[in-house]
Parts: sequence; structure tokens; C-alpha cells
Amino acid sequence: MDMYIRIKRDKTTYFIRCKASDKILDIKEKLQELVDKPAKDQRLILPGTGEVLDDSKTLADQKIDTDAVVALTLRKDDNEFEEVNIVRPSDFYQTRDAEGASW
Amino acid sequence: MKKEDTVKLISSDGFEFVVDKEAAMVSQTIRNMLTSPGSFAEREHGQVTFPEISSTILEKICQYFYWHLEFASGKDREFPIEPELTLELMMAANYLHT
Repeated sequence: MDMYIRIKRDKTTYFIRCKASDKILDIKEKLQELVDKPAKDQRLILPGTGEVLDDSKTLADQKIDTDAVVALTLRKDDNEFEEVNIVRPSDFYQTRDAEGASW
Repeated sequence: MKKEDTVKLISSDGFEFVVDKEAAMVSQTIRNMLTSPGSFAEREHGQVTFPEISSTILEKICQYFYWHLEFASGKDREFPIEPELTLELMMAANYLHT
């Protein structure tokens, strides 16, 4: 296998195996059955910058490397996409991470 | 990806990690749950709950599964472990035979 990415939504993380040459659309197609929504009702977003990933671009184009985290949002009934929502665990290690403290 | 090729691992705090069965089977314990004859509920529903493993540790373990597969296919990359996770991670790895 070449690489994998972690796709997160709410409290769920999907580990998806892929190649750097895969297009964003290929990733959505891999997710289709798992999330029970067709590719057109999925949106993949870089959690750091909030950039929405374009179906026709490849992972390499978007500088997405192995182990990267990508946020998934789904189309709601009113046709709008939901906001990015990734729940993080509330334990000690992550808190320290989140604050970026160096002690 | 097909649902039946994946397994959902659930942490003590209710976080869910959906991974390839092949990756999860890096753990001998999970392999036994998913492949042994008889009806482990785990095998029928394709999900395993770990009431004693927190999501931080479980995610690290899933990352390890994939790192292991990458490594086996010849990609040499270091596996980073934060020192503060070491003890808990070792206990979980021991339980999972990983």
C-alpha cells in the first residue's frame, strides 16, 4: 500500500488507503458506501485552513501526505452542507496538544 | 470501499475508527475475534468495542496498523510515539497482541 489518510466527522474516523495520484473524487467514491452518501453529497475540507478540496485535484496537488487528517461534511436535507465538526477527546494529552504548551 | 471489508473499532469514550479488516488483523486479538469459528458478536456486526482503551490510544493503534502495512510493503518511515502515551500504549498493545 502507498499511503492512508484519516477522514474525520463528528466522533468517527475513517482510515482510507489511497495513492498520492488519487483524485479527491476517488476518495469520495471510496467513502460512498461507508458513509451511505453519494460522492456529490460529500465535501472534503482541510481542517487547518478550511479549504474545500476540489474533486478534480489529486492528493499530491493538495499536498496531502500519508496520515493526514481531512474533515468530511455531508449535505443536509435542506441541500446545504453542514459545518465542519470534529469532536476531539477530552483527555489530558489532547488538551496539552491543543494549547500547544511547551512544558 | 465495501462495508464488509472494514471493521469499526469503538473506544471507551465512544469514538469510532473505521479501518480495513486487513489492517485490524495486524492485531492477533482482533484477528481471532473476526475469524474464529462460532459466533463472536464482533464478527457478525463488524464492530469491536474496547471499554478499556481511550480514543487517543485507539487512534494511535490504528495508525500503527497502517504503518505496519506500509512498512511491510517496503516503505520505511519512523513511527512517532509521544512519550506520555508510552505506558498506556504498551498496555493496549499487550492486550491486542500487536
